[in-house]
Amino acid sequence: MEMKAAKVPTRRAFSDRLVEYGEIDPELIVFDADIGYSTYTHLFGDKYPDRYFNMGIQELNAVDTAAGMAAEGRTVLMATYGVFLTMRAIEAIRSFVCYQNLNVKFLSSHGGITPAIDGVTHQATEDISTMTTLPHMKVLAPADTESARKSVDVCMQTPGPCFVRLMRDPFFDIYRPDEEFHLGGSKVIRSGKDITIATYGDIVFQALEAAEELAKSGIDAEVIDLYSVKPLDYATVRSSVEKTGRLLVPEDHQKRNGIGYELAAYFLREYPIPFDHMGLEDTFAESGSYYKLIEKYGLSSAHIVERAQRLIK
Amino acid sequence: MQSHNNKQEFEQRVEFLKEKAKEVRYHIVDMVYTAKSGHIGGSMSAADIMTALYFDILNIDPAKPRWSERDRLILSKGHVCPVLYTCLAMKGYFPMETLKTLRQFGSILQGHPIRKTPGVDVSSGSLGHGFAQSIGIALEGKYLKKDYSVYVVLGNGEIQEGLVWEAAAAADKYKLDNLVAIVDDNRMQNDGFTDGIMPMDPIDKKFEAFNWEVVKIDGHNMAEVLKSIEQARDYKGKPVCIVAHTIKGKGVGLMENQQRFHGKPPTEEEFEIALKEIRGEA
Repeated sequence: MEMKAAKVPTRRAFSDRLVEYGEIDPELIVFDADIGYSTYTHLFGDKYPDRYFNMGIQELNAVDTAAGMAAEGRTVLMATYGVFLTMRAIEAIRSFVCYQNLNVKFLSSHGGITPAIDGVTHQATEDISTMTTLPHMKVLAPADTESARKSVDVCMQTPGPCFVRLMRDPFFDIYRPDEEFHLGGSKVIRSGKDITIATYGDIVFQALEAAEELAKSGIDAEVIDLYSVKPLDYATVRSSVEKTGRLLVPEDHQKRNGIGYELAAYFLREYPIPFDHMGLEDTFAESGSYYKLIEKYGLSSAHIVERAQRLIK
Repeated sequence: MQSHNNKQEFEQRVEFLKEKAKEVRYHIVDMVYTAKSGHIGGSMSAADIMTALYFDILNIDPAKPRWSERDRLILSKGHVCPVLYTCLAMKGYFPMETLKTLRQFGSILQGHPIRKTPGVDVSSGSLGHGFAQSIGIALEGKYLKKDYSVYVVLGNGEIQEGLVWEAAAAADKYKLDNLVAIVDDNRMQNDGFTDGIMPMDPIDKKFEAFNWEVVKIDGHNMAEVLKSIEQARDYKGKPVCIVAHTIKGKGVGLMENQQRFHGKPPTEEEFEIALKEIRGEA
């Protein structure tokens, strides 16, 4: 598998494709909440000024307004940072977008602790938990440029609400433009026979690094990118685990109520195996560089190696 | 002569609406008593406003609830859905007997309005969110250059929500002159009088400060209600807010200004007295 440094963060990749998608769907409307230069939705606004609404710093009203438009049959993409979207506007998302099952799509930037230097108020470390809990909501968490681009097409072509978790900084590119990417899908990005490591977003790269490290001690890890967080591709994880016999789920999120919990419940019920998961341990992070934070909060490749080794013993 | 005819015609419309409002109030009381649950006080304070909208102002077709050219009505103070359901049934969106199923299992008449009910444009009930959604509906109307008007009814307690003022600012930014907000200012809320809980006066000055055109009326004077809504509908350049002074429980003496009737049904005795009073037998 080829892995090269990404030129742009996923938030930029998504918005670049969104501009192209504006031609495919000439009815598409985009809302932002005064961070259009950070989510890069301003690019859409530059090209289609009459289809771009900057709602100012009022996420709650912006989501309801988007719901009102969508109730009239329109598709609206609402963009802002994940923590504001999923915390401040959650009731509008739940009761008026999801309950009414409307075509409001969410560009949720700065997912997890990727806005590291911005500090805790700007880090979205409970977003997967809240968004996956909402009926009708679909959740994508692309890890790289191509998968972020493809997320635009998938969320636009899937009826009803869809939430796309994007990241502040560029990491690596692993998907080819012609690669399969669909709702409910996942991708085995490294094959192995001794342990399955399943994750999404930025931690995909820590998992890949960990797999290389584990290989040195003779442990052959399989790494799965769960880019479709909801619906989750249980079948692929299951068939991987049937081969490897153990599962480790690290994620850039609170450990409680993350995808680790979801997969733990699934395997406990369907196919009990040795299992472990990693995330923020009932704590908030802090300001600092991303790599310092994953080191301190236990999400680096070294931590994944250690937990994988423990699971195999 | 022309103006005399217009005046006569207007008076006829007002008289017709006054009779309709009695019918609406009768069904509200009957419905909440039958369901043994529901918000009666705020339904009665909004009854004249809702009657004027449904039986005169709104350009709607009950046979085509999603007709794209229709006027939109969002009851943002969604808890007073008994008044909404009554108007919808009387207009023929669903049978009158359906009113007896309010809040019951399997009923299309949920505890707070939902979009699946024929005639309901968007779900509401969590306060402020109906108003905010109406901004999107009005924006869509402006954007598509459609002719429909959007009417949204809010409560005086509801406007304590910060969301209301986010929405008010957005309506100003986009100059939503196809939007008419009516505040049913009955001076009360769940726990008592608004002045003691979280004062919001002066409501008119607040909307004016957000660059809305504002008019104050007596929300139980049908001529004022009708005239103000018509003028608001035709106003160009700004959204209009009608602050309607009303009385909670209006139409039944024992319910007026009584906190108990915010969300509780009447007893059997109160029910009998109420119906007699509405029918004019008391």
